[in-house]
Amino acid sequence: MRRALTIVVLLALMGAFAFGVNRFFALRKAHVAEASTPTVSKPAFVLPGTIYVAQQGVMYKLNRGTFTALRLPKNGTWMQPAIVPGTNDIVAVMRTAAYSEVFQIDGVAGTVINQLSHNATTSSTIQLNHWMFWPRLSADGQTLYVSYDSPKSIQSYEIEFAVWAGPLSGKIASKQWTDPFSYTGGDVAPVPLPGGALLYSKYEISGGNVYSRLAIDTRARADPVYLTNDTDDCGQPAVSPDGTQLAMVCTGGTGLQSTRLEVAPLTGTTLGTPRTLVDNCLCSSPQWSPDGRSLVYYAPADATGHFQLWWIDGAAGLTPKPPKQVTQNLDLDATSPPAWSPA
Amino acid sequence: MGFAISGAAGAVAYFFPAITTAIQDTGHSIVHSTAPSSASQTPAPTDAPPGQPFTVLLLGSDNDAKYSGNKVLTQSMILTRIDPATKHVVMLSIPRDTYAPLSTGGTDKIDKAYLYGGANAAVQTVEQDFHVHVDHYAWIGLVGLVSLIDKLGGVDVVATNPVLDDFYPADLSGNNPYAYERVAVLPGPQHMNGIQALEYVRSRHGDLRSDFGRSQRQQQVLLAIRAKAKLLGLSDLPDVASAMSADFSTDMSIPQVASLLPLASQVTLQNVQQVLLLPPFTSDAFIGGQDVLIPHWPLILTETHKYFPAA
Repeated sequence: MRRALTIVVLLALMGAFAFGVNRFFALRKAHVAEASTPTVSKPAFVLPGTIYVAQQGVMYKLNRGTFTALRLPKNGTWMQPAIVPGTNDIVAVMRTAAYSEVFQIDGVAGTVINQLSHNATTSSTIQLNHWMFWPRLSADGQTLYVSYDSPKSIQSYEIEFAVWAGPLSGKIASKQWTDPFSYTGGDVAPVPLPGGALLYSKYEISGGNVYSRLAIDTRARADPVYLTNDTDDCGQPAVSPDGTQLAMVCTGGTGLQSTRLEVAPLTGTTLGTPRTLVDNCLCSSPQWSPDGRSLVYYAPADATGHFQLWWIDGAAGLTPKPPKQVTQNLDLDATSPPAWSPA
Repeated sequence: MGFAISGAAGAVAYFFPAITTAIQDTGHSIVHSTAPSSASQTPAPTDAPPGQPFTVLLLGSDNDAKYSGNKVLTQSMILTRIDPATKHVVMLSIPRDTYAPLSTGGTDKIDKAYLYGGANAAVQTVEQDFHVHVDHYAWIGLVGLVSLIDKLGGVDVVATNPVLDDFYPADLSGNNPYAYERVAVLPGPQHMNGIQALEYVRSRHGDLRSDFGRSQRQQQVLLAIRAKAKLLGLSDLPDVASAMSADFSTDMSIPQVASLLPLASQVTLQNVQQVLLLPPFTSDAFIGGQDVLIPHWPLILTETHKYFPAA
C-alpha cells in the first residue's frame, strides 16, 4: 500500500515538474505589450488646450489630462484631425478599405456635423473610388485643402495625390493646386500659409530613389519653390501659428529606418538653417502648440514600436527643452498628425 | 532519472510546434551548381564554418490561391551576406524580371527558376549566373510573412512615399483570387501589422521604379523584422514556428536558425548595406511577349563580387 502511494506521489511530482518546465519556457517568451485604450490611460502631465489624436481608427480628444472618445460612426476608421480656425469644430478623415471621406465634426459634442466629400462609388469598379487625406483649413477657416487621388484613369496603373482646395461650405476639391510627379505617390500634407501660398510635401524620384521635398506654391499650379533638397528627404511639415517656424521630419542619411525631427525658421519662401530637435528616432507628425512655443510629435517609447505622444517645450527657441513623453502604452496612429486647439 | 524524463517531456511539449516545423520546414537539402554557367549538379560544398561569413538566398513568393502547391514564382530574391565576426550584412535584391539562364534550362525571368525546380533551381540559377556560392536558402510565402509579422507584434517602418495601388491583388481577402482591391499606404514612420506590411512590400503598380521600388521596400521590412527579432529568445521559437508553419522552408537546421537570433540583435543599421541592381546594371526589354530586364553581367558581377566572394 505504502509502495503504491509512493509511486502515485512520485508520478504526481513528475507531472508537476514537467508542467513546471513547460511553464518555465512559456514565461520566458518575449511578451508583446497590448496597448491601452486612451480613455483608461492618464497622460504623464497636462498640456493646455485640446489635442485630438487617433488610435486604431477611433478619434480621441485630450483635454485637461483626460482622454474622451468622439462619438463618430463606426463604418470606417478615423484619422487626421485638423482644427477649423475660429470654431470648436474639426475636420477629419474616415477611411474604409476602398475610399476615404472628409467630415466636419463638432469638437465639443464629438459628433459629425457634415460629410464634406463623396468619394465612394456605387459601381463594382473599385477604381472609381477615391482617397482624400490630410485635410487642412486656411487661416480664415473658409478654404479646405486636401490631398486627393485625382485626376486618374481606371485604365491606368497611374495614381498619385495632388493637393486640391475648395470652400468648406461647398465642393471641397474644386480647384487643383499642385501637379504631382507621375508614379511617385504625389503631393501630400498641405499646409495653407498666411497670404495664400501653400506648403506641402512633394515626392519625386531621383537616381533611382524616391524622396520628399518641401515645396511652396505661391498660387494654384505655380512652379514649386523648393525649401529642402532631395537627399534631405524631408516631409510632414508643420508651421507655427505665427508662420515663422517650420517643423519637419527628415529621413535623409538615416538609411530609411529612422528619422530626424527638425525645426527651421521660415521667411516667405526661404527656409533658414534647420536645428535638429531629436536625432535617430522614429519621430512623426509634429504639431505646434497654439501659442507656437512648444510642439508635440509621435515616437515609440520602446522596442514594441507603439507610438506615444511626446512634447518639446521651447521648440521654437535656440535652447529647446529635452523631449518629455506625454502618454504611456498607447498605440497612436503615427500617420495621423495631432490637431491642437487652444480651447 | 524520472524527473529528467518528465522535465524533458515538459520541454518537448512546449517546443512541439518548433519540432514539427523543424521536421517539416527546415533542414531541406539543396544541390549546388558546380561552376558558373553550368547546370550540372554535384553534392553541396561544405557549409561555411561556424563564425565565418555565409551567404543566404532569401526567397519570397505570392503563394496565393492562384497557384497550386509549390508551383510559384519568387517575387522576391535577396542575396544576403552575413559576417558574424564583423556583424556586417549586405542585401542584394535580384530583380524578379531579370532575363537570365535558368539552371533548369533555357533563358527566362529569374523568378521562374523556383517555379520550374523549387529552391534547388533558384539557388543553382543564382550560383551559376552570379558566380557565387549560396550556403543556405530560406523561402517564405505570403501568409507566412503576414503571420510572422503579426507574431512579432507588428513592425516599425518609415514608409518611403505614398504607396497607392488600384490594382492590388485581393487574393488573401476574398473568394476570387483574381480580384483587385485598393491600397493606400501613407508615408512616414508607422507601426504596421502583417497585412499592412505585406501591402507595402508587395505593391508595385503605382511606383515609377516598379520592381526596384518594391525591392527597396522589401529590404526595409526585412530590417524591421530583424529589429523586432532582437526581442525574441529560444522560448519564442514555438510561436514563430506555428505562425509560419507550411509557409516557410529552409535548408538551415533549427540550431542554425536559433543561432541567428542573437546575431540579429548585434547587427546595427549602420552595418547593413543595401544593394539594388538599378540601371545601368539592368535595362528594360520586351522579349517573348513579356517585359524583362536585361542584365549587364560584367557590371553586375563586378558589383556582386564586391560583397560576395566569387565562386
